[in-house]
Amino acid sequence: MGSILGDLPSFDPHNFSHFRPSDPSNPSKMTPTTYHPTHSRTIPPPDQVITTEAKNILIRNFYRRAEEKMRPKRAASEFLTQESGCKQPRASMTTSDTP
Amino acid sequence: MFRSSNVAARIFERQIRTPAPGTSVHCARLFYENLVPSHTIYDVECPDHSFRKFTEDGHYLISFSRNNQDLIVYRPRWPSFCCKEDNCIHDLPQKAKRFESFFTELYTVSLASNNELICKDMFLYSESNQFGVFVTSTAPLHDAPSSGEAVPGIPSIDKITFHLLRLRDGDTLDKKVFHNDFINLTHNMGVFLYDDLLAIVSLRFQTIHILQIRDSGNLVDVRAIGTFCREDDELFLNSNAQYMPVSDQSQLNHSENDVETRAHQNPLYQNNTLLSGIKQRLLSFVFREIWNEESDDALRIQSLKKKFYFHFQDYVDLIIWKVQFLDRHHLLIKFGSVDGGILVSRNADQHPAFFAVYNMETTEIVAFYQNSAEELYLFFEMFCDHFHPQSRSSLHMNFISSHSNNIYAFEQLRGIKKKAIFTQFVKKMLGSLPFSCQSRSPSPYFDQSLFRYDEKLISATDRHRQSTDHPIKFITRRQPYTLKFKIKTGPEAGSADSRTKKISSFLFHPFLPLALSIQQTVFSQPSINIHFRK
Repeated sequence: MGSILGDLPSFDPHNFSHFRPSDPSNPSKMTPTTYHPTHSRTIPPPDQVITTEAKNILIRNFYRRAEEKMRPKRAASEFLTQESGCKQPRASMTTSDTP
Repeated sequence: MFRSSNVAARIFERQIRTPAPGTSVHCARLFYENLVPSHTIYDVECPDHSFRKFTEDGHYLISFSRNNQDLIVYRPRWPSFCCKEDNCIHDLPQKAKRFESFFTELYTVSLASNNELICKDMFLYSESNQFGVFVTSTAPLHDAPSSGEAVPGIPSIDKITFHLLRLRDGDTLDKKVFHNDFINLTHNMGVFLYDDLLAIVSLRFQTIHILQIRDSGNLVDVRAIGTFCREDDELFLNSNAQYMPVSDQSQLNHSENDVETRAHQNPLYQNNTLLSGIKQRLLSFVFREIWNEESDDALRIQSLKKKFYFHFQDYVDLIIWKVQFLDRHHLLIKFGSVDGGILVSRNADQHPAFFAVYNMETTEIVAFYQNSAEELYLFFEMFCDHFHPQSRSSLHMNFISSHSNNIYAFEQLRGIKKKAIFTQFVKKMLGSLPFSCQSRSPSPYFDQSLFRYDEKLISATDRHRQSTDHPIKFITRRQPYTLKFKIKTGPEAGSADSRTKKISSFLFHPFLPLALSIQQTVFSQPSINIHFRK
């Protein structure tokens, strides 16, 4: 077949019979399929920098709990909606901000 | 992970299969199932020193002389011998069965002079620059005269010296001395080393000293938290007229009579009318927390009366017991009452203890919990590894088994949790906080996912344990669940007298299959066995 692999033995010589190795003198005209987004809702902000959070997860949890306790307590009725069937400690207990 | 338990088959398999991402150390550790310290040399004749521990990088063995005045450092090495016979029977010749075949003495340094003694239990190692921190002290005085800001009821030690040594050659690089102070010097309890930051808790003066170990070998004072929190607090207060001692103040016609009488009644604060900086931060945090619990002003005041003012004096009387770093900026401080006992933390029921997370940069208390707090226990259960902050330069220390990183340790914890009463269980678990640093051996033989062993007889924590005549078995966790090696302390035939109480301690090398087991009785010399892979 003229490939760089030569005439090595193969399990089935008819495998790869349609394969045409790429030839530098005759470049393939096929371009691989590309996908483009149809909307711009998920584009990151242009100045976004992704870094590792300096505080480890334990300290982050301490701060989050402290913030929850320090925030002035709201009326009890606002919390009723999220109490149902919630046995696992939620990652965040906050609902939407006060209207 | 490997299909076979045969070491040659595992090596071949390792050539073709890459481990799952992030598990390269765990896969390399699997080979420790094959290379075990199964051979024991009993009752080795060795110099009469008390061997303390191997450093975390395995380069040095630290030991102290019997009179606790000298430091002797050895380098662990592997024995080698040659045989003259043609077919050498693979048994160690008698001359190889010596302590010196395994350890070379590097140097002896005299650390303590005159009436000072080295604190045997206190040793910290900075892996990145191979510095060691040792402590010498004079004898404690239990009836110390109270002076100024000293907390009454806590003994005083005339002189405590922290020595910073370069372990490569034994040179003393720097010293830090504390006079008429008391620092808990057993089992690294009064100190904590994280990266290059060293925290020392002065119990007598209720101050946390933060020092930095620089690469040049200097111990630099960074801050002292206690009476003052920020560096310029003292300057500000001294320049302010209200901070004069009580005797001066009575000459001025101040209306601060209540504060004065309270100060007179409380012998702790005879000279100061202000509470210490850290105490003020603590009280204001507790106040704000209780204030924010209620939304109605009347309820707030009621809640404050019940929870804060009623216990005000108890809060004021809290003292700092123990401290650890959570990261470079945050400390976990344990507070308790003076009667609680500085050395014993076992009677947690009678004496409530509190934990506070303190940010050294902003000088704010971030969180405050009692030792029965379920929320804190939840963090402890989920993020136990973060309570053992490890610097990135340390390779071996990041893989010590805990219930947060090991399923078998977690199962064990769950088993204890099911059987116990929850509140007692929480207090017991939180009683181990704040952790002492460098108290666990990084040896892979203590890895719970590799071996199963009796934790009451031996574990990664370097504490003395009750000794038994039976060997301690290490059984693999995986198929085929076989016994891989045994550690037997004491002489080979077992000791003649089985009634005297024996305690044993174990020193495992961080990565070589080499361990020392030391069995001590009250009457006789300690007997040391060397366990290694032949």
